[in-house]
Amino acid sequence: MPTTSPTQFSGWGNNFHSLAHLFSAGSADDLQNFVKSIHSSRGALPVGLHRSYGDSALNSGGILIELSALNSIEIDPATGIAVVGAGVTISALERAALKHSLFPPVVPGTGFVTMGGAIAADIHGKSHHKTGTFSACVRRIRLLLSSGSIVDYTPNDVEFWATVGGLGLTGIVVEVEIQLRPVQSNSADVTEHRVKNLGQMIELLSSADSDFEHTVAWIDLSGDYRGRGVVSLGNYGTKWVKAKESDSKGPTLPSILGKNFITPLSVRAFNELWIRKPLKQGSVALGAYMHPLDGINEWNNIYGREGFLQYQFVIDIGKEEIFERLFAGLRSLKAASFLGVLKKFGAQSASHLSFPRGGWTLTLDYSTSVPGLEKFLSEFDEELVAAGGRIYLIKDSRVSPALIGQMYPELDKWREVRNSMDPHNVWQSDQARRLKLC
Amino acid sequence: MAIRSSQEAEVMLNGFKNPGRVVLIGGNSEIGRAIVEHLPPLQSREVISTSRTGDYALDVTNRAAREACISALFDEADVDLVILAVGVLGNDSHLDAADNLLNAIEVNYTATAHFLTLITERMKKQSHGQILVISSFAQVRPRPDNFGYGSTKAGIDFFARGLASTLKGTGVSIKILRPGFVTSKMTAGMDKAPFSISAEECGKYGAKALQSGKLITWAPSLLKYVALIFKSLPPAIFSKISSR
Repeated sequence: MPTTSPTQFSGWGNNFHSLAHLFSAGSADDLQNFVKSIHSSRGALPVGLHRSYGDSALNSGGILIELSALNSIEIDPATGIAVVGAGVTISALERAALKHSLFPPVVPGTGFVTMGGAIAADIHGKSHHKTGTFSACVRRIRLLLSSGSIVDYTPNDVEFWATVGGLGLTGIVVEVEIQLRPVQSNSADVTEHRVKNLGQMIELLSSADSDFEHTVAWIDLSGDYRGRGVVSLGNYGTKWVKAKESDSKGPTLPSILGKNFITPLSVRAFNELWIRKPLKQGSVALGAYMHPLDGINEWNNIYGREGFLQYQFVIDIGKEEIFERLFAGLRSLKAASFLGVLKKFGAQSASHLSFPRGGWTLTLDYSTSVPGLEKFLSEFDEELVAAGGRIYLIKDSRVSPALIGQMYPELDKWREVRNSMDPHNVWQSDQARRLKLC
Repeated sequence: MAIRSSQEAEVMLNGFKNPGRVVLIGGNSEIGRAIVEHLPPLQSREVISTSRTGDYALDVTNRAAREACISALFDEADVDLVILAVGVLGNDSHLDAADNLLNAIEVNYTATAHFLTLITERMKKQSHGQILVISSFAQVRPRPDNFGYGSTKAGIDFFARGLASTLKGTGVSIKILRPGFVTSKMTAGMDKAPFSISAEECGKYGAKALQSGKLITWAPSLLKYVALIFKSLPPAIFSKISSR
């Protein structure tokens, strides 16, 4: 079955590129036959929309398998159970579910994530403190193993938890069964508050946990790095509002001569405007509320040819002093981020490699051309690990493999389960090789 | 000296395009070691140096040993960068002229060209990797005092440029460093030539060559123009200058 000649791929960060052969599955049968025929020593990896930032969905010299043809959505309105193909996007599932006044309980900051990707990263959203990660609403996954056999796993199986958050390295998710939640409308009731510093932000996010289904804060990490920002709190609403009917494209940000437009000055100017923008109060379409960045296609072009990286970590409640050290370091590097996001997580899932766990998660975007950033982040990783924190692998392209075991204490258990599911190491990725995961 | 082997090392280029697993062939080369020293810092870089007494013991003049070495290194894990720094001047006082010449050809040309072939084949399979070849200013034009050495460097320079031209679209690239006179153990006791630099400085140029989009980097940069002048001088004038 044909794959493409070597084709260049990159993660959403565009910070490095990798050549791989692409196989587009026409159907589940096609896919099964193809998997049985894989003999490449560089292996294969199922991929979605390449929204992971680093090298999680890259496999240089090997095969990438894309599954957009697996796009069926079947919803039972009586039970709220959806059986969904691996290539379906979160946005498409949201729209289909809303027709029955249902909604996926966990959706990430972008709707351009496939079901396969959502499982591989065990994604989370603004509702994590209430709902946990994506796996919490998954009742069953159908997995195509490297042996060619197709197996269903439920949360009672250890293979389920190795696959959830397992970075696509246990097999190909073919189908997912999801428990949707009822909603009264397609909107969220949103209220936003400006805060002057990190202390206020933490206080407000903490106190809002019980009353709001969705909580998140935009944090201004430029200028004096005090951590001022806007806290956004939301609940499912009751009012039907006008919303996008498809993934039809909004404006696309062009790449202008491959130039990076994110500089300390431009970030500061942007953030000065952003902090002053009118606060949202009232009904907002769920899609627009959940996925604010999807309004502009290919926004990653703003970082130019050199690309960028996203750094996301979680730290226990009570260890907030690490933020001060981080901010001081970033200030001295003049590293300004225009997409700082702070969120309070709830409890962690039973997955071996799932990222979220109780505590604070901070997400930052940086151009890779900031001088000294690599060294600084390496040093900060060490501090983070010493304080019991960890980084999100689906965003990573640079962490030292020496720290992964401490960040993810279940790594060896995961390896054991994974090896039993893929004894010949068919599933490989650049990240797995870089971090020696498998 | 930061050359070390580490059990936990990054294998692939990371998000800052920084090589994680580096092989230095010619582990005793001062230039090679200086290039490694000047790579952008990476805490968990793994550097494997090969020499008769290095991390990986290797007699570069033995064809089977070269093949075994490259197989072993690439079988273990992906290699991001290979620095090919084996080289002799061909002026060993213990050897006669013929042996010196044959040795220089063997090390500077035969072994290096063979390494280049072996390494590019393995890098093509992994679809990524960089190779840095150390050529020389001596390959610009034959001079009475070093044309034997110069011819081996001219040969390997030519070979590397040719091989580089075949690598488009493979994810693999070759860079060539052309140093002038470098003060080091290898050149101890020799008269310094104009534009000479230390091995340390040469290392900086080597590290820069890897970041650059250009195939060829001169060390120092000015040599590019000196080479142009050298090539264009009429033979009579060139012979006067070069015999000084």
